[in-house]
Amino acid sequence: MKGSLATSAVLHALVLTWALVSLGSPAEFEVADVEALPVDIVPIESITQIQQGDKKAPAKEKASPVPTKKPNPVENAENVGDNDIDLKSPPKPDAKPLQNESAAAPEKTEKAPPSPDPVKEEIQKVGEPTPASEPATEVAALPEPKQEVEPDPKPEPAPAEETPAENPAAEALPEKVPTPMAKPKVEKPAQTAKTPERKKEEAKKEQKKASSQKESDFNADEIAALLNKQESSGGGAKRSTEEAALGGKKTTSGEKLSQSEIDALRGQIQNNWSIIPGMADATDVRITVRMKLDPNGELIGEPEVEATGGSDAARRALMGGARRAILKSAPFQGLPADKYDTWSEVVVNFDPSSML
Amino acid sequence: MEQVGLAATSDVTLWSLFMQAGLVVKLVMLGLIGASVWTWAIVVDKSLNYGRVRRQLDNFEQVFWSGQSLEELYRTLSDRNTTGMGAIFVSAMREWKKSFERGARAPIGLQMRIDRAMDVTLARESETLEARLGSLATIGSAAPFIGLFGTVVGIMTSFQAIAGSKSTNLAVVAPGIAEALLATAIGLLAAIPAVIAYNKFTADAGKLTARMEAFADEFSAILSRQIDEKLQPSRQAAQ
Repeated sequence: MKGSLATSAVLHALVLTWALVSLGSPAEFEVADVEALPVDIVPIESITQIQQGDKKAPAKEKASPVPTKKPNPVENAENVGDNDIDLKSPPKPDAKPLQNESAAAPEKTEKAPPSPDPVKEEIQKVGEPTPASEPATEVAALPEPKQEVEPDPKPEPAPAEETPAENPAAEALPEKVPTPMAKPKVEKPAQTAKTPERKKEEAKKEQKKASSQKESDFNADEIAALLNKQESSGGGAKRSTEEAALGGKKTTSGEKLSQSEIDALRGQIQNNWSIIPGMADATDVRITVRMKLDPNGELIGEPEVEATGGSDAARRALMGGARRAILKSAPFQGLPADKYDTWSEVVVNFDPSSML
Repeated sequence: MEQVGLAATSDVTLWSLFMQAGLVVKLVMLGLIGASVWTWAIVVDKSLNYGRVRRQLDNFEQVFWSGQSLEELYRTLSDRNTTGMGAIFVSAMREWKKSFERGARAPIGLQMRIDRAMDVTLARESETLEARLGSLATIGSAAPFIGLFGTVVGIMTSFQAIAGSKSTNLAVVAPGIAEALLATAIGLLAAIPAVIAYNKFTADAGKLTARMEAFADEFSAILSRQIDEKLQPSRQAAQ
């Protein structure tokens, strides 16, 4: 037995030695760095129930697109914008409203006044809206090196004085002469330096005036307006008067019954609901009615009436009363036909204690 | 243990796991390793012993059935310290001799005495065969529980340590639990060979005992015939 014990002990020693050496430490797990993905839970209403509005505006109670400037509404227009024709393209706030009549030939070309566009471009590029400093920078951009040495004192007084004088002339000019399609190059220093400096608003006003006056001017202009591809970014003809609020491009059946409409529906049921006064425990009962309606306001099938709270007897009595009231007031009036999707299946909650 | 010097470098080796464990868990692990050593000692001892016994039985049967006279065989075997069938044969022959030296008269009493002597020797032989198998059974059934006890204690202490460190990071929790589970692993490592060896050796011992019982019955039959043959003439002479 001693020999066996020794044999066994030696065997164990060998096995343990082997285990300690070869089973030293298991290989470490390779942990891949998995970054947690932020998940937004998007309710389905954000797709199915979009109200017409502005995508970038802050959310408000009622979605509303960017307000339009023109007052006259076009009948049955769906897309918001200042356009006269209801186009689906979104209204693009045009920084430089181009009035490029490609087809219309200029009537008078003696004067060929420079359009305000290049000037405005220059203003945006330089980023200095004050009229006093602009000519200086434009002159500085000229390829002529001599004027660069002392550009400031010479051109500054000249445009500052000229602006009031030339403004009315410039306003009057677009009536006769449409602006040329090609942008005048900056290389003509004399013209750009002399051009009247205006603010953006002034330029827009002028352009609006020009477009309105242009329509009554010449037959070819109307054709040109039709051909004008630039106009397609003007948006639709629906006008918006309220402040811009978050919403989609178009309303997609996302309308809900307004509170007054729900109240009207509830009122119709309540009028036909004779609640027995003084019923015990009736104040704790809440009734929920679920019913299906056809477009005429008629009931489809049986209304589902559920009651919670209160005693069993009160619940049963009030449920029966609610069912009778619904059946009695069956063709519901005053529901907006265009919102049928929303009230085809309607749930109305009642608090009988408020009706006692 | 012999492996004291073999400290490993990494923090989660078997040795470091053992060294990190608490006193109770360490004792449990050492006890289980001791049990394993004992189990394998018994396994080695028994397998050698059974092989030897089987060989002795084969040799004895060969000699016994070779036609050698029983007296001669007894003379050669009685000097030695015999085991197995030899011991049974010697005990039966001794009783036979004693009875005839004093002049046996009742054949039935002689037969009974011889059978009794052979039974006693057989019981003694089978007892030596089955010695220590009980400890195998005990280790096989108790070692998992002992290991489990070590694990429970280890996990308890490691949870207490986690509560103290105020961190539930898995890196904090894992080593303690791994160390505690080592106790169960060692318990199973000791128990599984013990159970297998116990089953095997019980069956082997049963077979060897059955073989010896069969020899004892056969030898008893032979002696019974001899008794009849020896006592018949004397009885006739008496008449």
